[in-house]
Amino acid sequence: MSVTHEAILVLEDGRTFVGEAYGAVGETVGEAVFTTAMTGYQETLTDPSYHRQVVVQTAPHVGNTGVNGEDDESDQFWVAGYVVRDPSPRAANWRSTGELGDRLAAEGVVGISGIDTRALTRHLRERGAMRAGVASNGTDAASLRERVLAAAPMAGADLSAEVSTAAAYTVAAQGTHRYTVAALDLGIKRNVTRRLAARGVTTHVLPASSTLDGLLAVGADAVFLSPGPGDPATADGPVALATEVLRRGIPLFGICFGSQILGRALGFGTYKLGYGHRGVNQPVLDRTTGKVEVTSHNHGFAVDAPTDAAADTAFGRVEVSHVCLNDGVVEGLRALDAPAFTVQYHPEAAAGPRDADYLFDRFRDLIEGAGTKGAGNA
Amino acid sequence: MAYPELARDPAARGAGKVILAAPEIQRVVDRLAHQILEKTAGARDTVLLGIPTRGVPLARRLAGRIHAFEGVRVPVGVLDVTACRDDRGLRAATSALPTDLPPGGVDGRRLILVDDVLCSGRTARAALDALAQLGRPASVQLAVLVDRGHRELPIRADYVGKNIPTALRETVRVSLVEVDPRDEVRLHGDTPQGGEQ
Repeated sequence: MSVTHEAILVLEDGRTFVGEAYGAVGETVGEAVFTTAMTGYQETLTDPSYHRQVVVQTAPHVGNTGVNGEDDESDQFWVAGYVVRDPSPRAANWRSTGELGDRLAAEGVVGISGIDTRALTRHLRERGAMRAGVASNGTDAASLRERVLAAAPMAGADLSAEVSTAAAYTVAAQGTHRYTVAALDLGIKRNVTRRLAARGVTTHVLPASSTLDGLLAVGADAVFLSPGPGDPATADGPVALATEVLRRGIPLFGICFGSQILGRALGFGTYKLGYGHRGVNQPVLDRTTGKVEVTSHNHGFAVDAPTDAAADTAFGRVEVSHVCLNDGVVEGLRALDAPAFTVQYHPEAAAGPRDADYLFDRFRDLIEGAGTKGAGNA
Repeated sequence: MAYPELARDPAARGAGKVILAAPEIQRVVDRLAHQILEKTAGARDTVLLGIPTRGVPLARRLAGRIHAFEGVRVPVGVLDVTACRDDRGLRAATSALPTDLPPGGVDGRRLILVDDVLCSGRTARAALDALAQLGRPASVQLAVLVDRGHRELPIRADYVGKNIPTALRETVRVSLVEVDPRDEVRLHGDTPQGGEQ
């Protein structure tokens, strides 16, 4: 960052912010969203759920711990653009192997710094997430806005194929192998397989286009639906797969996008939130225990399910197991008559608190229970 | 923005010590403007009333920043509190600026009193009395650039630019370019130099 380029950020409603280039110099367009996470920017940048999104960090100072070789949640940076108030000029951390600005440039992520992220965040909160463009290549605001308006909105976007693994791979259990899980990769984060591996689960991560027979061919005791980007209303393939999983009584766990897919398979609708939940301090109530956990979130869509009483579905009764205490949004579903449950937030954290790690225990217990009842593998 | 050594520093006793320089004042005013926007649903039905002398330019600056951030025009007025002060017999009762309410007055609106330094709370109390003679606002809030403590009344600010813990014998002097040579907040030792609080 020896040369400073002027950069602009233009929202689809025309509001423009002028700052300096951060990361790659160029032009990018995506959905502007903000995350309130104070830590874990490397995990944020490598989270496939941020594909096609221009991420605004509300934390004013970013990059102070640099980047390292350990914290990536996938093979690359996925964000479409990156917005930071005040980038750290120098990384200072014992694990750091480089500067964030250099890594952003190497990954081709166009960013902007030095803008009033508080004003931008309030704009997005009050008017909703919207498309935005960032340019540091001399583009003028008017022509950038034209391209922003021409870009596809997030509602209706089917992005699973763009982030899914091309080839299947396996993450082995740590210690004694106990169970095998087939994970449908719609944008999985590495810490999901790590949390499963820590419980003796070997996870086969399979491409988003996989069929149920393909999933079960690995000898799966259970199916996992991963987090990921895009509009769940477009995920007809995974929904059909989840429906068949339910029909066969195979244990099912899903996170985030996976929760929306289970919701649709159960007959619920999904909808786009005004500005979404993105951060690492969102309070969620586990209604089965009455405990409140502070959790990691990254979702712009949610399931529309009744929170007052269990709903009757084609697969029996289903209850909303978790709700967000900020706005009452459905954060978890639990089938009472089928071995399936999901959460809308991120028990794998990375970044974020580990309050919700117990959900992986629940998944393990679900597989265990299904195995003893003989209701598991088809 | 390092904290200077306060009273222990001999320099703080004479010319005083700069606590906030111009860029810091600008940043603090920016933040106050953001906070006002966030606490008032985008400054809806809000009026800023500056308390002379330096509360007035401060209120105008806040209105300017609010307009820059959200494109909202917040009316700014002046509230002269001299007649309601409880120390009228103790110091010269000269009011620098007369009360000047924006069109629409104060009735039913959210009023934000703006002053430079909050200390005993007596000015804010006087402002509430002065307001009571002008109408019935929906609510009244208080924004100050500096809160230096030492309250003598049950008054608290809704928006504080900077908390500066001080000793009673010290004084805080706010200078704003609209009325002073430069922008700065200065902490003086125990020699009062006029205009401080």
